[in-house]
Amino acid sequence: MSLLSLKNISFSYGKKIILNDITYDFEAGKMYCITGKSGAGKTTLLSILSGLAAPGSGSIFYKDEDIAKIDKYKFRSKYMGVIFQSFNLITKFTALENVMLSMDIAGVKDKQRAKKAAELLAEVGLDSDEANRRVLMLSGGQQQRVAIARALSYNPDIILADEPTGNLDTETQAEIMEIFRRLADNGKCVILVSHSPQVAKMCDECYQLQAQKKG
Amino acid sequence: MYIFKNALRCISRSKGRNILIGIIVLVIAVSACIGLSIRQAAENARKETLDGMSVTATISFDRQSAMSNMTPPTQGGDMSSPPEFDRSQFAEMMGSSSALTLEEYETYAKAQTVKDFYYSLSVSLDGDDNLLPVSSEDTQTEDDTENNKGGFGGMMPGGMGGFDRVMGAQSDFTVVGYSSETAMTDFINGTASVTTGEVFAEGTKDYECIISEELATYNNLSVGDSITVINPNSETESYILTVTGFYTDTTANENSFSMMGMTSNDPANKIYMSYNALQAMVEASEGVSETKTDEDTGREFETALTGTLSATYSFADVEGFEQFESDVREMGLDESYTVSSTDITAFENSLTPLTTLSKTAGYFLIVILIIGAVILVVLNIFSVRERKYEIGVLTAMGMKKTKVAMQFMAEIFMVTLVSVIIGAAVGAVASVPVANTLLENQTTAKEQQFQNMEQGFGRGDKGETGMPGNMGGMPQGGFMKDFIGNPTEYITEINSATDVTVLLQMLGIAVLLTLIAGMASMLFIMRYEPLRILSNRD
Ligand SMILES: Nc1ncnc2c1ncn2[C@@H]1O[C@H](COP(=O)(O)OP(=O)(O)OP(=O)(O)O)[C@@H](O)[C@H]1O
Ligand SMILES: [Mg+2]
Repeated sequence: MSLLSLKNISFSYGKKIILNDITYDFEAGKMYCITGKSGAGKTTLLSILSGLAAPGSGSIFYKDEDIAKIDKYKFRSKYMGVIFQSFNLITKFTALENVMLSMDIAGVKDKQRAKKAAELLAEVGLDSDEANRRVLMLSGGQQQRVAIARALSYNPDIILADEPTGNLDTETQAEIMEIFRRLADNGKCVILVSHSPQVAKMCDECYQLQAQKKG
Repeated sequence: MYIFKNALRCISRSKGRNILIGIIVLVIAVSACIGLSIRQAAENARKETLDGMSVTATISFDRQSAMSNMTPPTQGGDMSSPPEFDRSQFAEMMGSSSALTLEEYETYAKAQTVKDFYYSLSVSLDGDDNLLPVSSEDTQTEDDTENNKGGFGGMMPGGMGGFDRVMGAQSDFTVVGYSSETAMTDFINGTASVTTGEVFAEGTKDYECIISEELATYNNLSVGDSITVINPNSETESYILTVTGFYTDTTANENSFSMMGMTSNDPANKIYMSYNALQAMVEASEGVSETKTDEDTGREFETALTGTLSATYSFADVEGFEQFESDVREMGLDESYTVSSTDITAFENSLTPLTTLSKTAGYFLIVILIIGAVILVVLNIFSVRERKYEIGVLTAMGMKKTKVAMQFMAEIFMVTLVSVIIGAAVGAVASVPVANTLLENQTTAKEQQFQNMEQGFGRGDKGETGMPGNMGGMPQGGFMKDFIGNPTEYITEINSATDVTVLLQMLGIAVLLTLIAGMASMLFIMRYEPLRILSNRD
């Protein structure tokens, strides 16, 4: 049984067709890679997958349920962890506060939340000084890692990541990929968007997104 | 609730903006607190006084409606000679229809809320050669100005005395007969007291009386002496009264009426006795009444003594009085009579500056709130637009828009609440001096107005006896004194103004401002689509 599936998804900005009749299947315990040229519509596809954008036609199923019919807020805050290409962090909050806010929104009742958030940040390579610094004063790579920690903080079923290692050096990239691999091995569904062949190599399955002709 | 934690964090992360909003709200709050406190002070002053006030009321004939029902006087071009006023027609009407009888008064006294009922009869009488009225003039001028005749009888508690003796000659004394000791209000409230001898027996039918110490001294009288009073209409008709005591009246010295040549209205020339005795005297006089013709006007009149009856009803409180007003109407008192209470009128007058101030404060409050709300709405719209991205992130992370809106609302509320609390404290301290300063200005203005009015009525110079020329068609100025006879004692100071009610109102204002300002944020938040915000980063 697939955890998340796209059935005949099409999407266009006005007359410009971005996605045309896409049918993908994502299973739990696997890591997927979506590749494609810049502008092919990868970010757009992730927006549709996470329920932020509604497809022009076709449907998305989460555990065989049409996500058009379920509570999108619950879906986004609990079941889906999104790492945005542009991070989308609250810049006036610290790294730790960003992570904890996500846990609050997801309704994580854990008393050890603060500890767990700090551990996660440490895991993605931020020391406690960085963790308690406002996001605005972190480097791009550090911000990316905060976004990763945030997406993992509430233990979602699916992790969507848009170029999660794009701003990282090879060493850190490898560490992050390790984390994703481990999550997939522990039964999560990890969907990555990447141009990097190394990333693609570590994935179980790859989808190649074709850029649509201008029309 | 993480929303509040988040709200607090957001406030602390954008201090500048929140301090600005805080200061604006603070200004609104201080102004609002002062405004509300003034209103509350006015309300408190009214309540406190009304609560403890025992109210007395009288029923009187509405002279104004009576006068306006008469053929209106033609407006003459020359202001110095007032248009002709048909005095005889007026007197006739006053005489026939005005006075309620004792029976009627007693009927109304049966109204449920009446706590006490008493009445007095006043009759004008002359003295014999051994009883001369205390007067500031050396000789008694019999042909006093026509205008003054009987004009000042309005001093009687019922205010009805003014016109009963328009036909008669001027008299020396006003003899007042009281139904009971409670009716002798001056003696009860302490403005008058018996200093020598004692008061006549309550309800006695004997011709006993008390006279003023001045009158006693003036005529060399002592307690136990007899005095003779004469019917001014008939020199042969006289009555002998026994003096049981002397009284002093503290109002005698301050009263300006004695200066105006109206000897019978000089408090020193008042003779007090029991109603029963005076009534017996009036009945005796009716027995020997004859018909005479007035030399000046040629009109016929009865020589019998006529008295002016005035009745007073007392009530436990203002509600009692108000109930009485409607009760007597049901009992058949027609519209040409007014039920009025001098206590309440005086009280309302004393509150005028405070009430005016309270009204002004009310308008001020509304203006301040409107301006404040507009400023806050504008600031919030700017603020929400600025935080668009933040809203996008929160909703993209799965925070419901309503929760985002609630968080924004909470931020505004916290800032507003703190400002309102500080504002209430500042306002509470400031409101008393501010209110008292404003009140002082009001009172001064009112007093100025009163002085102008006095001047307008020709009363600027107290020694003047002539009646003013600019009073239009009214020949008897006396009752005007009823309205403005004494400068009102205004309430010129309040002490505590900010109370729980005000604080609750302030809280209400905080909630109101939050809701109004929050609505603006709410509309924007609900409209925003996270994807659009996040994909259109500026
Ligand atoms: N809001 C928008 N309105 C109109 N066109 C848009 C909008 N957002 C994206 N596009 C266009 O849609 C196409 C797909 O964009 P998308 O961001 O999905 O590309 P991508 O595959 O993620 O590219 P990259 O690898 O550079 O991130 C692009 O041509 C882009 O210009
Ligand atoms: Mg992209």
